[in-house]
Amino acid sequence: MTALVVAALSAREVGRRRTALVLVISLPLWFYLVRRDLTGQSLRMLTLGIGWAVSTLTLFVVNASRGVDPRLRLSGASTAAVIGGRLLATTAGGVALAAAYWLLAAVDQGLDRPAAAALMMALTAAVAAPLGGLVAAVLPRELEGALALLSICAVQMLADPAGLVAKLMPFWSGREIGTYAVDATGPEYLWRGLAHGVLTWLICAGGTWSIFAWRLRLPRCPEP
Amino acid sequence: MTAWGVRFEDELRRLGVQPGRARQLADETAQQAAECDAAPDSLFGPAHLYARHLLSELTTRTLPLNGPSGPVRLRLTGVGKRYRRRTVFDGVDLTVRGGEVAAIVGANGCGKSTLLRICAGLTRPSSGRVQRTRRVGFVPQDAGTAGWLTADEHFTLFGAAAGMAPRRARSTGEHLAARLAWRPGRKQLTQHLSGGTRQKLNLVLGELHSPDLLLLDEPYQGFDQGTYLDFWHQVRAWREAGRAVVVVTHLLHDLQHVDQVFDLGALR
Repeated sequence: MTALVVAALSAREVGRRRTALVLVISLPLWFYLVRRDLTGQSLRMLTLGIGWAVSTLTLFVVNASRGVDPRLRLSGASTAAVIGGRLLATTAGGVALAAAYWLLAAVDQGLDRPAAAALMMALTAAVAAPLGGLVAAVLPRELEGALALLSICAVQMLADPAGLVAKLMPFWSGREIGTYAVDATGPEYLWRGLAHGVLTWLICAGGTWSIFAWRLRLPRCPEP
Repeated sequence: MTAWGVRFEDELRRLGVQPGRARQLADETAQQAAECDAAPDSLFGPAHLYARHLLSELTTRTLPLNGPSGPVRLRLTGVGKRYRRRTVFDGVDLTVRGGEVAAIVGANGCGKSTLLRICAGLTRPSSGRVQRTRRVGFVPQDAGTAGWLTADEHFTLFGAAAGMAPRRARSTGEHLAARLAWRPGRKQLTQHLSGGTRQKLNLVLGELHSPDLLLLDEPYQGFDQGTYLDFWHQVRAWREAGRAVVVVTHLLHDLQHVDQVFDLGALR
């Protein structure tokens, strides 16, 4: 219940920041348009753009609530409800964004495996939310957090996809599933991508929860 | 029992009244309504607000007239705080009872706000022991609100954290705001409120879940003269309702309103 209220009000807060919202929504579009002539590249860039937009949005949502969250804990909310609610809001927004861009790509490019393309984008959005939360937990200041996410996305974009560095990056799953969706490869790409995405989600969500559980912990004061 | 009676009893229990006592009060209230041949909601108003009012009245009547002697709500024993090699304060002993207002005073930088955060449990002491009641309301000096939410949405958010249904949280928040002569605008975002009005919102949020101990960090910043008087009137009302109040202040003329003064600067 508390998590749902936190999620609904976080979504409402973001919805009121019209300019920021337009920029977040349009960010993946520029990635897509730059490589529109190549189906595979445009889809992969679009997916990375979705990941960058959703993770940055989560970073700012979590950082903006730093003054409120300790008071919510004092009022009785659990850390899971407070942080989970915020991640739920940005995940839902990210998946909606992914659905809209999937529709655009399906109409514009004519996808051979549309379900796999949808999975690629939705999984990337789902991973991006806790990634933004984890960066916000580790780097409490917005500038540092935004620069860290920029570095992650740049390395993801430039690294050799077959190399170790790319596999250690959080959005490698999107690239693998994208290969399955566009290049008509075998299902091993799909499973590898899914496994990487699930593992990354678990690490990021678990890390975010652990750091905030420690930071928002309240001591057990005995009754006088 | 009517739906109103059930809500009334639930709210009493949520406010910390023992189940048996809550049932007894609900029965007595229903009996009063029956004697007046009126529906309880038309006679007493919303169940959750009447529960607060009744509890406040009952607590006031059990307090003695000559000074506070309610249960201890906060006890600090030898509390100290160090940041690396710098000792902010050390050896703080403070006891605050229900029905008592304590002021923490001292020069800038002597650790008043840090001590209040230690009382709330938001900062860990380096030494000493903190004992306090479970239900605490904390009002920070600044921040603590979300700029892109309205006051009503804050009531919903903080109410949800305390386990209150959204409608109940909103009506309770509006009721508490009215005591500070403030009627929150439905669509006005917090970032568009004046500094004083934002502090009123802060105060209401601190009190929304009906805490036994209120910790206020210079809560009157930005208040005009009338609101400042309303604020101290409200502090007296809390005191009379048996709540413990700790207020950080640097205004010496505030001290006429308090039962004990703790000078943090004197420890240095």
